[in-house]
Order: sequence, then structure tokens, then C-alpha cells
Amino acid sequence: MVPFTRDAAVRLVLARLALLGQELGKPALAQADEQTRLFGEASPLDSIGLVTLMADLEEDIFQATGRRITIADEKAMSRLTSPFRRVGLLADHIVELVHSSHA
Amino acid sequence: MSAWFSQRLRERGGALAMQGPWGDCTYADLERLWQAARADLQALALEEPAVFALVGEHEPAAVAWLFALAEAGHAVAPLAGNLAEHPGKLAEVGAQWIVTSTGRAWKLLPRVSEPSAHPAFGALRQQGHAGLVLFSSGTSGRPKVMVQDLTVLLATYAERRLNRLPVLALLGFDHIGGLNTLLGTLAAGATLVVPADRSAAAVAAAMERQRVAVLPASPTFLNLLLVSGEAVTRDLSGLRVITYGTEPMPPGLLQRLRAAFPRVRFIQTFGTSETGIIRTESPDPASTYIRFVDPATEWKVVEDELWLRSRTQVGGYLDARDAVGKFTADGWFRTGDKVELGPAGTLRILGRLGEVINVGGEKLMPAEVESVILGLPLVLDCRVRGEAHALIGQAVVAEVVAAAAADQEQLRAAIRNACRRALAAHKVPTRVSFVDAVSGERLKKIR
Repeated sequence: MVPFTRDAAVRLVLARLALLGQELGKPALAQADEQTRLFGEASPLDSIGLVTLMADLEEDIFQATGRRITIADEKAMSRLTSPFRRVGLLADHIVELVHSSHA
Repeated sequence: MSAWFSQRLRERGGALAMQGPWGDCTYADLERLWQAARADLQALALEEPAVFALVGEHEPAAVAWLFALAEAGHAVAPLAGNLAEHPGKLAEVGAQWIVTSTGRAWKLLPRVSEPSAHPAFGALRQQGHAGLVLFSSGTSGRPKVMVQDLTVLLATYAERRLNRLPVLALLGFDHIGGLNTLLGTLAAGATLVVPADRSAAAVAAAMERQRVAVLPASPTFLNLLLVSGEAVTRDLSGLRVITYGTEPMPPGLLQRLRAAFPRVRFIQTFGTSETGIIRTESPDPASTYIRFVDPATEWKVVEDELWLRSRTQVGGYLDARDAVGKFTADGWFRTGDKVELGPAGTLRILGRLGEVINVGGEKLMPAEVESVILGLPLVLDCRVRGEAHALIGQAVVAEVVAAAAADQEQLRAAIRNACRRALAAHKVPTRVSFVDAVSGERLKKIR
């Protein structure tokens, strides 16, 4: 398998945010970057929107790597700084999950 | 009901009863609105009790109408959430009048297609009691309508001790838990704080501004409050009690909450639309075991399922077919909740038996969602189920068999948008997977 890099993870998240933005009629999501808030104040997504993003990303990651991951796991929940707050943090979390998963 | 509550309104006069996006509303303001609603109602010169849909949220006009309708012995069906679900609910309940509330104002409209109230309201009418109509998700995709005795329910709040602790309104005006928060707060003469919306950000902002002391919430909401970072960035030091219910509390989440709010007392609550809210104790704040201490409620566990029998129990479902299998002949209600017995008469809620999906404390049946998805032209078949989710308890997952011509990416968006238009937000599938065939059958696509 081609190593799954952080850059690849960021690209996947941004591409998926743009598609979700189209679906939700929130074109601003296409302009997201690593600092974009995914959840909490000033985030364009509500909790159901965030869960939708996670579900679509899990499918994208399976297509890209052949690995099934669960983005919202207990480890993510118990972190002091949630990986769901910003695009960059989510990409870090995804890379970690892919690398610790089994093909 | 009116006597003790009128007295409470007068006692508290200039104190703040409700605070929200529409501003401040004192107990005296609420009394004036109640009088105005009463006058509008009397002007209708109704000869017998009628069924009123009350469209609104926690706001002064909706509360004034709830009281005016209750004292006059009418049946009230509070409606909130996605407007697209309202026509079906209005038809199921046979509402004759519609009151639409916005802040302090209202509109009153007749619904001409319904000449008389449903006969199921007859028992209440004979006693001169008001009715409260609540909806829950039905197995067929049609909402299930329950009728409670509103006069008896309101009387259970008459003995509340006065306190001044501001309480946050999180659950909806059409939800038994949301109504319980509203009535309990006003009966105690305290202030109900209504956030601009139910996001963690808006709720935390309202809590900081009004120094909210009591937060009744679902475990999912509390999880989102932690994950969003709002629990840290906002000053929530006014908080003294968090009550949680409507879905199981994961033990790991309770630990994280206790660490984040070390001085807050955690109390688990329990209730169903069918039986009302049941008074409980949490003997050990670090555990999720509860004990029922409600003199009006009996409980037992039958094959891991919690059964309840209570004084505030619903008069019944409006459609007798809905009661089949839910109530026993001797009045026990099968909750559908899977429970485990604990030490010293306690028990723990583990989850749901059967098909009900619980998204962050809000429930739905797969058929409601399936019927919307099957309406799309490129969908051949589909199956909806719940999937455990660490952020929101359970997520709605749809497995779809698509026509060969379908572009899956576009169809996925179209499916979710069709659900967004027709259904409440929590019912929209977050995951849509395409499969060759679905297992089992529930609804069949008619072609």
C-alpha cells in the first residue's frame, strides 16, 4: 500500500467538505482550510453534519486505502483537545487511525 | 390547575419567568399573556372541548396558551420541529384549531376539515379534564399519538418548593422532557433560560449570560458540550446540577463530565411519553445506576425489559392499533428499554430492544426514513437501521439498492436532502451505503 500521508488526509477532508457544502447549500465549506472549525462556535456544521462528514470520510478512506476506520472512537472522545474541532486536527487523527488499522 | 399557578404568578410578579431570543418575560408578563389568551379563547364561544395544535417552542405565547387551554379543559397538541412533519401530525390528531406562537405573539386559525374531536378524548371530557397530546415515532412511518391527562399532570407540579435557580430549556416544547423542565421551573418560581438554538455554542452562551444553575440534557448533548470546547471557553461556574436522560449514559462519558465539572451534581432522570417523568435517585453519582422513588409509579423487569405502571399514564393511544403489544391488560407499559438490575433496588438502562433508533435522545423508527428514501426514483430498495456512534449515541444508517443508472455520489446527496426536507434533523441518515440487496423486508417499493 502507498503510505497514507497527512497531506493526503487533509486533501480528502477538504474535498469531502466541499461536496458536503454543495449538498447542504453551504458553499463556504469549499473554502475551508486546515484551521477551519468543524464543530463548536463559528463552525458551519451542526452535530449531525459533523457525523455525516465522518461517515462519508470513512468511505473515502476505504476507497483510498482499503482500510475501514471509525473516526469517532473512544480514544478520540477522551482527548483533552478534540480531534473534531479543526480540519488539521481531524487529518492528524485520521492518519493515526489508518496507520494503526489492519488492512 | 389555574388556582395554584395563578397564585404562583402573582407571588413572583416582577421576577424573571423566561428569558430567550425574544427577550425577558416576567411572571407578571406571563400572567397578562395568559389573560389575553384566555380572552381570545372565550371569544371563540366553544360549546364543548376541542383539540388545539399549539405550534411553537419554549416561548411566552406558547406557555400562555398551554395554560389557557388547560384551564378551559381543551386538548393541546404541542408541535415543534420540522414543519414538514406537521400536516401528518395534525391529521393524525384531528386538530380543530391551530395556534401558532412566535415569541409573545400568536395567530389562531380554525382547521375546517375537522368538525369534531376524536372519540378517544371522550374519557377526559367526561371528567372535565384537559388533554395533552404527544407524538412518538410509529412502526409504520405514521406518527403514534398519545393522550395524557393534562389536568392530572399539572397537579403533580403544585407542591414544588420555591427556588431561584435558573434552568436551561434544551428538550423541545413538544417533548415530555421539555414540558417537564418548563412546568417544573415555573412551578418553582425560577427562570427558564431558552437558548437561540440547541447547538453547544448557543447553549453555552445562554448559560454563561444567565448564570444557569440547572442543565437538563441528554448524554449526547453533554458529550458535544465537551467535544466543542464550549465547556472550557465559557464561564459555566453558575452550574450546580446536571440532569441527564432520554438515552443511556456511557460510563466513560460520565467520568469525563465529572472531571470537567467537579462541583456539579449529576442526577439521572427517566421518563417516557407514555408514563410521564418518573422521580428517581442516583445513589452513587459516579455510577449510572438509578432508583425509582416515585410514589405514583410501579416498575418491574420482565425478560430484561423495563415495565412501568403510573398514575400519570396516558389515557391511551389515539389509534387503538398502536397500543397492541405496548400495554398489558392490567395497565403495564412495556417501555422497550433493555435494563439491568443493580444493587439495592437500582437498575441501569442499557439501550433499546427492537427497532427504535435513539439519536442523542431523540427517537425514530426506521420505517419513517425508509418511506421517504423509497420515494426517490433511482432507489430500488432500502433498509434503515441504527449504528452505535461515540459522538451521538446512535447514528441513522441507510443501506440502499440503487438503479444501475444512478451516480452514487449524487444519489447519496439527493437521499439526504429528501430526508432533510421531509423529516426532523435527527432522522436524516448520516451514512448512506450502496448495496446489492438489503436483508429482510419491511416496506416494499411499489413500482
